[in-house]
Amino acid sequence: MASNLTTPFLPTTRREFLRQTGRGLGLLAFSRFAPAFLVNSTLASAPAAEKDRSILVIVQLAGGNDGLNTLVPFEDANYYRLRPTLGLAKNTVLPLDATLGLHPSCAALHGLFHDGQLAIVQNVGYPNPNRSHFRSSEIWETASGSNDFATTGWIGRYLDNACAGRPDADAHDPLAVHLNTLNGTPETFLSQRDHPTFGMLAGSGGRKDSEETRRLLEQVAVDAPADDTSEASYLRHTLMDALVTEKKVQSVLSDYRPSANYPVNPFAASLRSVAGLIASGLPTRVYFVTLNGFDTHVNQATQQANLLKTLSDGLAAFQKDLVAHRLADQVTTMTFSEFGRRPSENESHGTDHGTAAPLFVLGAQVKGGLHGTPPSLALARNEDVTYSTDFRSVYATMLERWLDAPSADILGGKFDRLPLFA
Amino acid sequence: MTPLSLPPETAWQPLAAGDWNAEAARHLLRRAGWTAQPAEVARSLQDGLPATLDRLFPAEPDLFPPPALLTHFEAALPSYAQRLRAAAPEERRQLQREERERAQATLVNLTIRWLQFAAQPEHAAYAKWVLFLSDIYVVSFQKVYNPPMIYRHFDILGRNGLGPAPALTKAVSRSPAMILYLDLNQNQAKAPNENFAREMMELFVLGEGQYTEADIKEAARAFTGYRTRPAFDDFHFAAGQHDAGLKTVFGHTGNFTGDEVIDLAYGRPAAGAFLPHELVKFYLSDTMLPAPYLESLGAAWRTEGGYNLRWLAQRFFGSRLFFAPAFRADFIKSPVQYYLGLIQDLGLDVTPIPRFVVNPLRQMGQVLYQPPNVRGWLGGRNWVNSATLAARRSLAEALFTPIDEDTLNADEQIEIVAARTQGHDRFTVTDASLATLAALPPSALVDQLSRTLLAAPPTPAFRAALHDYLAGGGADPASRAHRLRRTIVTLLESPEYQLC
Repeated sequence: MASNLTTPFLPTTRREFLRQTGRGLGLLAFSRFAPAFLVNSTLASAPAAEKDRSILVIVQLAGGNDGLNTLVPFEDANYYRLRPTLGLAKNTVLPLDATLGLHPSCAALHGLFHDGQLAIVQNVGYPNPNRSHFRSSEIWETASGSNDFATTGWIGRYLDNACAGRPDADAHDPLAVHLNTLNGTPETFLSQRDHPTFGMLAGSGGRKDSEETRRLLEQVAVDAPADDTSEASYLRHTLMDALVTEKKVQSVLSDYRPSANYPVNPFAASLRSVAGLIASGLPTRVYFVTLNGFDTHVNQATQQANLLKTLSDGLAAFQKDLVAHRLADQVTTMTFSEFGRRPSENESHGTDHGTAAPLFVLGAQVKGGLHGTPPSLALARNEDVTYSTDFRSVYATMLERWLDAPSADILGGKFDRLPLFA
Repeated sequence: MTPLSLPPETAWQPLAAGDWNAEAARHLLRRAGWTAQPAEVARSLQDGLPATLDRLFPAEPDLFPPPALLTHFEAALPSYAQRLRAAAPEERRQLQREERERAQATLVNLTIRWLQFAAQPEHAAYAKWVLFLSDIYVVSFQKVYNPPMIYRHFDILGRNGLGPAPALTKAVSRSPAMILYLDLNQNQAKAPNENFAREMMELFVLGEGQYTEADIKEAARAFTGYRTRPAFDDFHFAAGQHDAGLKTVFGHTGNFTGDEVIDLAYGRPAAGAFLPHELVKFYLSDTMLPAPYLESLGAAWRTEGGYNLRWLAQRFFGSRLFFAPAFRADFIKSPVQYYLGLIQDLGLDVTPIPRFVVNPLRQMGQVLYQPPNVRGWLGGRNWVNSATLAARRSLAEALFTPIDEDTLNADEQIEIVAARTQGHDRFTVTDASLATLAALPPSALVDQLSRTLLAAPPTPAFRAALHDYLAGGGADPASRAHRLRRTIVTLLESPEYQLC
């Protein structure tokens, strides 16, 4: 390998930045547009890391998780009527109270429930439910009404709101990070203003691949005209900013020593990375992780069992890791899915697109237990459940009670808050 | 960045035949269309510039045919209207909800079908031209909410896009989508609504400051009675709502109709320079040309060109100014161009799955049929910030990542199978598709990739890094293939590839 690829080119610290600039290492070429965190810290001392900031981790269960077989109403005859083959027998579910139990794959979450760290909000949805994956995901991610279109996501608007007027609003470290998402930045993060967000590039952009690409891209600033107002120069600037963040994230993650045994799968690996980034003290407030494959139209039983095990074991390892690093008080994790599934199973031992479903909220500060009310299952064939808790109530609670932000401004209206925090 | 060495009087003269070379052809193809495919470059050189312009902007361009789902939606509109009338209130709401869901799905499908159409090299230039016109004659699905109307609006732009500009403006004034978008439906003799008349003058024909408020008030009266019936997607003129009285517009007085007011607007000298201004903004540069250049082209367009749009397109793209060095590789691609450019450059098919196509476009900042407001997209440098650049990079990565079909939702699997049966199955790059390139030695490889992919050559350090990286693959085929893939991804993520 050529030597210019083994020499670190981009600085990750102010000291490195100054040293390299002093050496005139081509960095002069872009020192005019050097990453804000480096420039700012050369002008004034960098703002101290907020040690006690609260962090939200959002886990997307993409495809539409079947709520009825996640939180099972094992005393309800209607459940077994609607689910003649998929219904889970009372003696296999993990009981939470006299009538409800978790899917047998959720043993780890069951333990967290009994430790008081897991809240389950029942029957969450919205009025006039849409059954398209695409559209219903959009509604959840933008927190819009079923018939409205929002061009920004609820976390994007939170960042707009939180950063308004802050002098370090353009600081360089990412305020929101997404991992393992299939299609780039989640709509949840789309904002009016430009905030530093960061994504671990999907697919083949594994660590080694993106490392190679990053090292090659670093060379685009070398030999670039020093004082140049061209579009190329503007693009180089923006790219260099992104590469500095990537490099920093990369080095944080390779140094991280988790204190829990994470299962070997991409979802758990993403959670491990989230724990590593949180432990590094980045100012990131929101993380977004996707677990895909919940669209179980055919032979649901095995698929959902595997997915819920991945979810449950991954979250439990993550929580254990946070506790061991004394970070658990800072972090709340919530799940969401674009919809639940039809109560009546279909002819292929699967379920079709439905409406409301339960979601999980996990964390040391969380008030564990069952929240909200279960759906009525006195339903005709192919009829859907009617939601009882609006998903924007969950968001409002997270914004007000956890992220300390004005939910009405961000959600475009007032929604009831839930007693999810002690 | 103005080519001041070319004075305004001669800047728009045709490029000298001797200056027509491969670099010039690539510049033209990247700006007028999405990319410069080697076969297209070769053909353009063989044909010469005038014939190439005739081909890019032909007398009878291919139009985007209506997708089946749209036709189906449209055919069901009358029966939907009928059922709606007959329904009880609660049932009515349910019907409306279902109709909205169908409308959304139909629009997403329209987006994907249009991208598939526009990705064909023979459609690229005209599809982009229609997109340019739609950035002037803006409508948005968010307000119109009717996919057939949106389709029809673009079809109106397509059918009138290379004819006389006044005819285009008149056709647009009858576009049902425009009638809803700019509230012509609300415009009545007793209570004129000025929205359309104002935007016609400010955003379609003349530009700000070229009219008085009184001109707008009077012109609005001429457009009273323009109506559409959403369920039928048509134009009809409600004579009873029309104000047939005397109006005074631009100093002329008469019982003007809407069409006559449009003719009066084109009678103003400012109408000549307005569209050239929009052309520069959309196709040429973030830095506007000094007024004398716009006026010089505008005057020629009025007098010599008779306001013919084909004349204007060919004069603009064939001019000495368009090919001036200052305008080479110094313009940021739109998200649509970035996406379709990747599809063409990588020899791929548009993946018929919304979240693989519509979501990336949204993340990059451009949702087709939903511009941010009546002014359209800002374009140029506004396309790029940290988030949108990250979205571009992850799109490039995604096109090198095989789709794991087991994790697709059921409706997505159906789309994939349907596309495959039609022979469209190249959704991501495979090593097999890179075999020809893989045979080249590193130096030739970098040169070829730079030439075909980039508008500007890589800096020497970047080029050397790519070369050394490729050479480091040694003789092992797997390692070489890996490095070839990473090199291409790197180039597609580079600042240079964002430019055209």
